[in-house]
Amino acid sequence: MSTNISASHFSSHDGNGPLLELAGVRASYGPIEVLHGVDLVVPQGSVVALLGPNGAGKSTILKVCSGLLQPTAGEVRVAGRVINGATADQLARLGLCTIPEGKGVFPNLTVRENLWMATMAGVSLSDVEEIAYARFPRLGERRKQLAGTMSGGEQQMLSMARALSVNPALLLLDELSMGLAPLVVANLYEIVAQVSEEGVSILVSEQFARTVLGIAHYAAIVLHGNVTRVGTPAELEDELSAAYLGS
Amino acid sequence: MQQFVQYTILGLVLGGVYFIAASGLVVTYTTSGIFNFSQGAIAMLAAFTYWQLRWGWGWPAPIALLVVLGVLAPALGAVLYQVVMKNLRGTSEVTKIVVSVGVMLGFLALATWVWNPTASSPRNFQKFFGANAIVEIFGVRITWHEIISFVLALGIAAGIRFLFVRTRSGVAMRAVVDDPELLELNGGRPERLATISWAGGAFLAALAGILITPITGSSMSANALTLLVIDAFAAAMFGRLKSLPRTFVGAIVLGLTNYYVVAYFPSSWTWTSAFRQSIPMIMLFIILIILPQDRLRGTTVLRTRERFHMPTMRTAWIAALVLVVVMFSLQTIMQPSPMKTLAYGMTLAMIALSLVLLTGLAGEINLAALSFGAIGTIVVFHFGTTGSGLDARMTLWGIVLASLVCAVVGAVVALPALRLRGLYLALATMAFGVFVSKMVLSEGNPRRLFGRDFTIFPGGTLRIPRPKIGPVDFNSDKAFLTLVTVLFALLAIGLVAIRHSGYGRRLAAMKDSPAACATLGMSVVRLKLSVFMLSAAVAGLGGVLMSAQLGAVSAERFDIFLSLSLLMVTVVGGIGYASGALLAGLFLGCSLLAMTNTLTKLGADYASIQAIFAFMISAVTVLPATIGITMGKNPSGAVTDIVKGLNDIKQARPLMFTIIGFEVGIWLLTATDVLTNWNFVILTAINLLVVPPLGGAIMKKRAYAKAGVAPPTPAEFIGIDRAYTQLDLDEMESVLGFDALGVAAPVLHEGEPAHAPA
Ligand SMILES: Nc1ncnc2c1ncn2[C@@H]1O[C@H](COP(=O)(O)OP(=O)(O)OP(=O)(O)O)[C@@H](O)[C@H]1O
Ligand SMILES: [Mg+2]
Repeated sequence: MSTNISASHFSSHDGNGPLLELAGVRASYGPIEVLHGVDLVVPQGSVVALLGPNGAGKSTILKVCSGLLQPTAGEVRVAGRVINGATADQLARLGLCTIPEGKGVFPNLTVRENLWMATMAGVSLSDVEEIAYARFPRLGERRKQLAGTMSGGEQQMLSMARALSVNPALLLLDELSMGLAPLVVANLYEIVAQVSEEGVSILVSEQFARTVLGIAHYAAIVLHGNVTRVGTPAELEDELSAAYLGS
Repeated sequence: MQQFVQYTILGLVLGGVYFIAASGLVVTYTTSGIFNFSQGAIAMLAAFTYWQLRWGWGWPAPIALLVVLGVLAPALGAVLYQVVMKNLRGTSEVTKIVVSVGVMLGFLALATWVWNPTASSPRNFQKFFGANAIVEIFGVRITWHEIISFVLALGIAAGIRFLFVRTRSGVAMRAVVDDPELLELNGGRPERLATISWAGGAFLAALAGILITPITGSSMSANALTLLVIDAFAAAMFGRLKSLPRTFVGAIVLGLTNYYVVAYFPSSWTWTSAFRQSIPMIMLFIILIILPQDRLRGTTVLRTRERFHMPTMRTAWIAALVLVVVMFSLQTIMQPSPMKTLAYGMTLAMIALSLVLLTGLAGEINLAALSFGAIGTIVVFHFGTTGSGLDARMTLWGIVLASLVCAVVGAVVALPALRLRGLYLALATMAFGVFVSKMVLSEGNPRRLFGRDFTIFPGGTLRIPRPKIGPVDFNSDKAFLTLVTVLFALLAIGLVAIRHSGYGRRLAAMKDSPAACATLGMSVVRLKLSVFMLSAAVAGLGGVLMSAQLGAVSAERFDIFLSLSLLMVTVVGGIGYASGALLAGLFLGCSLLAMTNTLTKLGADYASIQAIFAFMISAVTVLPATIGITMGKNPSGAVTDIVKGLNDIKQARPLMFTIIGFEVGIWLLTATDVLTNWNFVILTAINLLVVPPLGGAIMKKRAYAKAGVAPPTPAEFIGIDRAYTQLDLDEMESVLGFDALGVAAPVLHEGEPAHAPA
């Protein structure tokens, strides 16, 4: 399968079709298959939440989208182009931004050096710093501090700062809430909502459905490596409790 | 004053070269998290290659330099990373250490192979512009070579610092160690950065090698040159493998001490030269003591790829019994000389067992197992023998004392490094090993110690008799082989028992997560210390028996490179199992020797193609290292595969009985002198290597015939041996993912020949 990605940016795509599309995606770690044919669509400019119990395969779906894990079958399309086979760094330079689970920072690099790494996606360091420090003044005060010595919330701010400043077409977020106080989580999702208003399409995985359903346009329930149900948050209210308690 | 200036300048120069070598270590460690033990060997290879081009073939210096430093060294580093080191992501520290040690041993064997150490004319390695290109500074004469070396060191220090702090690529290199995946998500290319840094690291090693060889004026010996650059480890450690300024300070202190010792130690101190050679290792040791404790990392859960099963006690007893029976039946048919070889292999296996205990159970590393064997041997020589001449015997008390002393020495060696990560303990043991080789085993002259004349290692060889325990004399080859086999079997059972005990579980827990253990209130240091002492005692015991087997031992028997080989082969065999130790001991002690002997004999018999056999002998010496290097791909060791194979054979009863039957037959023929020992070995090898796959194939065919189904056609023969079916097409499509492309799948009509899609 070839990578037919041209040099053009994903965001130059101007149809009303979906920005991200997964069709029959299967993926495995070694011999163990964990995604058994996932179909999912993220429409242009919308926020889609992946919900489901531990080990359902949410992080794996995000890994496939970001290029860290190659699907064994099926297709991943971004802006209408098949991206199977593209590596994570290629995708990142083409306008896909991923904040991975739990550890979105380089602990042994300073705050400023962490932001410097974000510039590999093709933005200038001064722009990144300006946006990051304007949104999170706390980071500006600590630009010389090692990221690993900051609090969990501050580290999450730093990784969000990257998402804000590289101006992505598609943002993938994995469990922003992990290990953070509810207030911090609420703040982070406020920012996610603002980013979404700027027209960025977002796919977010989250354990705590309530926090994310407030800002999501659609939600998909993931169970045992399958997307079992997709709908608006209102439609899914009832099924959510079943997904977490039953099965 | 004149002298002070002179030695200071020389010290600064040497320190500068140490820094160049150490900075290469820092660069590769920073980007790949692998401490490159082969750094010294790369430097050595570069020095030899440069010598070959410059003086062997008479090339002009600039061209030779360009080829070695500009092309060969970086290419070697890049290839090393791409082929070997890249596969080490997600493996344990042990595997990382062993693989780079394997590379080092491989390069050493390669150098001895290409550049015959007993060459007729000595290899002369000269300074840049010759030894007479001298300038005078402060009334001191300095060669241009020395000036160039120091200036280069300063330039490299500044350059690397600029790279790591001021350039995005440099910062990204540091980011790679933290989290290569995250760097990829940022849009970086971790693989490319790591490759570049390994190329750079090899370049720095090569430069250091070319500069240092004429400075120390040492002869062109592969081992000595390798150790020379290993000395730079101390400097890199002083910088904690990341800080370049500290590395620079460490290197300069190292260089200065080296020359001040020459200048100011009284010439009557006969041990000055040995001490000078040990300075780097002593410093390494001191640095480890003062190094602050690592932050225990509890947050990052490592998923390592090594997997070891725990054998049951019953399996252990059966295996031990089988081993003893096999050895017993072997010794009844064997001639003395192979029996000696076998006993030597068994004693090595016992030393390897100490590594299984330490590394397999507790995840700690000892790079100098044989040095503990040396300590044990010295103890037995002085305090553990009775009788003299042919009646001399080792006493039980001597064996026990040797083990105890080794345990205590082990505690002293390990204590400073126990607070630190495994790599540091490994380095501490290596420092200890080099120290023992250079300062203890070289003590051939009498010294006055505590008012008594005493020689530690008189005459460079120690005569060690075989033991007599109570009324039982183990002097004969047969009795001794039985003794070591039974001892090995008992120790192996003990090992499995430890694994099943609460102590063993605590060790396993510590291996997986020291941080978690600490939070559970276990004393990690006490655990580590106890297991290290236990392991040192076993190593000492094995070493004593090894010396007894050899009868007379010299210092080379305890060489650090031998210890490293043993560790490597044990890890290859399977560091989690006693059988891995057995395999390692027999391989290193017997197979290698047997192979070289056979090849030498064949070479003598067929003189016309003797050159081919000579080549093969050299190839055999590279073998262990080559296997070690492949560890990255299969970090659980060979035993895992063998056990799987054995299980398969156990499932197939007829096959098992065939093999056992054949083997008994071969044994009977040998016992009745129909077959010679060598034929026995060869037939056994054929029986074990050829019968299982062959028999397996036959059995499979039979099974298919019995079930009445045709054996599956290999994919490439479908359409040739038989026609395509719709099933094949469907499978091919799902493999190639055509349906995802939305192309209509070709539907095959019954009986119509199909063509493979282009
Ligand atoms: N690196 C890996 N190797 C092997 N199996 C893995 C790996 N990562 C995840 N898995 C397995 O894949 C399955 C899906 O895991 P995944 O991380 O996608 O779940 P998740 O929905 O994100 O769960 P959580 O909400 O706990 O983060 C799990 O069964 C997990 O054990
Ligand atoms: Mg997850």
